[in-house]
Amino acid sequence: MTVDLSTAFGRLRLKNPIATASGTFGYGLEFADYLDLASLGAISVKGLSRRPCHGNPPPRICETDAGMLNAIGLQNVGIDAFLAEKLPELARLGATVIANVWGDTEEDYVAVVERIGHERRVAAVEVNVSCPNVVRGGMVFGNNPEALAALVKRIRSATRHPLVVKLSPNVTDIVASARAAVDAGADALSLINTLVGLAIDLERREPKIGFTTGGLSGPAIRPIALRMVWEVRTALPKIPIFGMGGIETVEHVVEFLVAGANAVQIGTANFRDPSLAGRLVGELAAWCESHDVARVSDLVGTLRTRPRKDHSFA
Amino acid sequence: MAVNESLRVLKTIHYDEGHYSLFLSAGAIGARTKPGHFAMIQAGEGLRPYLRRAFSIADVTTMAGVPALEFVIKIVGVGTAALARFAEGTPLPVLGPLGVPFPIDDLLHSDRVALVAGGIGLAPLVLLARTLAARGIAADLFYGGRNENDVLKRGDFERFLGPHRCRYATDDGSLGRKGRVTELLTHALARGGRYRRVYACGPVAMFRALATLLADANLEGSFAMESEMACGFGVCLGCVVPMTDGRFATICKEGPCVPPTAIDWARL
Repeated sequence: MTVDLSTAFGRLRLKNPIATASGTFGYGLEFADYLDLASLGAISVKGLSRRPCHGNPPPRICETDAGMLNAIGLQNVGIDAFLAEKLPELARLGATVIANVWGDTEEDYVAVVERIGHERRVAAVEVNVSCPNVVRGGMVFGNNPEALAALVKRIRSATRHPLVVKLSPNVTDIVASARAAVDAGADALSLINTLVGLAIDLERREPKIGFTTGGLSGPAIRPIALRMVWEVRTALPKIPIFGMGGIETVEHVVEFLVAGANAVQIGTANFRDPSLAGRLVGELAAWCESHDVARVSDLVGTLRTRPRKDHSFA
Repeated sequence: MAVNESLRVLKTIHYDEGHYSLFLSAGAIGARTKPGHFAMIQAGEGLRPYLRRAFSIADVTTMAGVPALEFVIKIVGVGTAALARFAEGTPLPVLGPLGVPFPIDDLLHSDRVALVAGGIGLAPLVLLARTLAARGIAADLFYGGRNENDVLKRGDFERFLGPHRCRYATDDGSLGRKGRVTELLTHALARGGRYRRVYACGPVAMFRALATLLADANLEGSFAMESEMACGFGVCLGCVVPMTDGRFATICKEGPCVPPTAIDWARL
């Protein structure tokens, strides 16, 4: 049986549903020794800003149980250097490139997407409205549906690229965020970004991260991510979704597809094993074959839930 | 180019409760390794520790006739404790060799260099000592620790460099001079020692003192820096240090071996 891994993702047609997550995959080129970039469904590059950004002072990361906290502060080379120095090489290697963008203000976001312009070597734009590690911008947009809608509307009018909005999980109602983004013109959603956390150095009684709080990622957040993907899929049956959060194995990939993601992004696990994302493509085909799944898209949103009943006292 | 491969545990030698040498099969990493390179080792498949850990490749050697990488490790947390407990034959995922090694290609036979180690900072200097010895370049070792147990692999250093070229300092005086390792270097310089370059690895406090000392003596240095890192190859951006040019540079990619003049010690 030949398994069809191709994945319709709005206007995009991905080779397969295995992509990599922004902030965990550099500019993609760093991984070229460890996997075939062209074999992946897509890669989302480190969040790009209008000007180069130095990021936060160290310490920036610490390991936590089944995961890690980070507060990198969106250090990146800036959109101009990315387009000039990274993108041509990514295109040469056959990567499907998603440009992740961020800014402090609406104008900053618009400036970045305008610089991308009609660049055909960028397959889609992913808007980061969910970084918890910067004082301005980032999550400030993602945690307020009105601000989010206004931002997405402006970016929508500034680009014809497929527009993916990466949502913040640090909200009470992820569906409200999702609806705001989609109603404002998002073509697709990515969920989830990291969850705000705190780790403490007890001897010093100081936070282990210089920014005090950091974004929690890794296997620890997977149940939360699955829940949010499932909630958004249930509320918005048609919107393409990149699911992510703690994916380490092919079974985790399938869990996200079943919960409602059309495709997944591998994140923190890229740090642990830089070859993993490439390996998962083959493992997904094998999993489908062993489970008599002819098309990977047949798995999407197939979670069978029971009707919820009110608790009954004895 | 680094290799992502599975290496077998060949042997673990425990020096005391807190220090050990881990010998792994050399794989494809061994032949590519230069002094100052490091590797990321995953301590098993579990979630605690979750991330790989960065270690200097202390030596490229043999263990019972089998080509081996040696890592000299101090137990400081769950990762270093877990790595101490694997049975011989256990495969461990390893990524390496990584980073910028010590600059040694420009050394001449007439040059003399100094190696300065603090505590577990001996690790990258073992292979450096072996390599310098093989190339016939004279090197003096200055090695400090809190006590005698902190000063490891003296036999190897003395074999590579000659016992008369190895000087030790301990906080409690249990080995060598009582005091700091930087004082050993200060004395050597006062006695007329001249070094083409000073290679060092140790805690930040030692680096700070040494950076000042080298600047005052107008000596070139190469410091093998340490930092927590998630990936080891320049993508997590977690291991940065502040540079004098205002940037944050990754220890894993722009280091670990960097000239001390490039680092903004006041902001570190």
